[in-house]
Amino acid sequence: MSAAIDNHWYPVAMISGIDAPRETLLLGKKISLGRDGGACWVKNAQGTPLPTVERFGHLWTSPGQPNRDLFTIPEADSPGRRLVDVGSVKVKCSPLRAVENFLDIAHFPFVHTDILGAEPHTEVDRYDVKIREEVDEVWATKVKFYQPQAAKSAAGGITTEYMYRVPAPTCSVLYKTCPPRPGEWDIITLFVQPLTDEWCEVWPWMALYDDDSTMSEMVSFQQLIFMQDRSILENQLPRKLPLDPGMEVPTQADMTSVAYRRWLKKIGYTYGAKLVAA
Amino acid sequence: MDWIAVGLAQDVPPGVVIPSRIEDTEMAIWCTPSGRYHAWSDRCPHRGMRLSHGFVRGETLACIYHGWQYNETGSCDYIPAHPKLTPPDTICVPTYTCVEDGGVIWVSLNSGNDPLPALGARVPIRSVPVSLSAKDVAAHFGTAGFTTIAVVSDYDTLLAVQPCTDTSCILHVLATPDADPKAVSRWVEELRTTLEGVPA
Ligand code: FES
Ligand SMILES: [Fe+2]
Repeated sequence: MSAAIDNHWYPVAMISGIDAPRETLLLGKKISLGRDGGACWVKNAQGTPLPTVERFGHLWTSPGQPNRDLFTIPEADSPGRRLVDVGSVKVKCSPLRAVENFLDIAHFPFVHTDILGAEPHTEVDRYDVKIREEVDEVWATKVKFYQPQAAKSAAGGITTEYMYRVPAPTCSVLYKTCPPRPGEWDIITLFVQPLTDEWCEVWPWMALYDDDSTMSEMVSFQQLIFMQDRSILENQLPRKLPLDPGMEVPTQADMTSVAYRRWLKKIGYTYGAKLVAA
Repeated sequence: MDWIAVGLAQDVPPGVVIPSRIEDTEMAIWCTPSGRYHAWSDRCPHRGMRLSHGFVRGETLACIYHGWQYNETGSCDYIPAHPKLTPPDTICVPTYTCVEDGGVIWVSLNSGNDPLPALGARVPIRSVPVSLSAKDVAAHFGTAGFTTIAVVSDYDTLLAVQPCTDTSCILHVLATPDADPKAVSRWVEELRTTLEGVPA
């Protein structure tokens, strides 16, 4: 596989979930992972140790030589946040389709009906999208959407503001209006482990201000959302994400997806991508 | 034979959409509230979602992912994310020729110029999936030139065979109005067992 694909950090486990050593797949290849005392390890199929990072409650590794550190989310360190390991969901789709779906708000009224969206509030206003060259990340800002139940902690319908960030090809960070603390952002991430190019394990993680909900309430809320997304992701054709224009029809509401695809193409990230229009 | 049965009208009442297929062509079959049948490519042009997971609203089929609505010609009429926009004509779903006749939904992937199959006075009983290719089912009946329709002496039954994959097909079963539907149904179950026991 090419360096453009190997030289990234990938999530491979929730640290709190590692007990006995186990095998999993990364980019179609077998790896094993476990914990010795305090530190987690990862090995490739030949038994060679791979680099590791423990961050955001998850274990990260790379089959190549990452040319930069795993991204950080400084806001998540501020005191008072509750860090939520949501667990994992395996999805039969390209890892890139999973990320793209996470960047999409236009589906809320139809897929997350009466939770993250509801008709007739379907309009998506223009927002700002750019590839921030200095950090090589995709950002969408000033994204606004009416939500009947924006979070477990929301008392009723509100217009939520979102910012989306794609700091790595298979990861996205969402900053969204925090119902109990206007002015602060809740953080919800989607870390995607590419098992193969058409099969992924999705590890959502959250850093929320919510003093009232129990941990399991917050986890169930997010899991419900991801189950609804999975019913979409496993039924998109083709399973791989088309990077070339022509196969699918974007509109203004899809500016984040357009930028994401363009950025993947620019950095040569083709794992899970479909390059030629069928 | 140009026409292939893809379902029975009784299983796709007005307002319903189902997935179906003819070999590698995957389709969304739907019925408008006023009773017209359509067979479309099972893929939304927007982001590739299966339209057979969608919903019928008014005389349109809406995609479940972002709610884009397609009118009966397959053209996109409405994009909920941009309610004031008139979608360009270029956004449309590929459609296939589809008619309902005698309680059977027929699709032609060719011209649709052939006459529809003659069903006699028969009425639809039920559809039965079989783990055997349509070709092997035809071979079982040994009918020369038989592709998709066979008339069987038991209950004067007509079988419309829908080819699905190399190892599966669906039998749409019609029988004379005086035949006991339960008896026909049992006979078809036995036929399925026999067919599935035939070495491929
Ligand atoms: S994929 Fe069908 S409306 Fe978006
Ligand atoms: Fe979603």
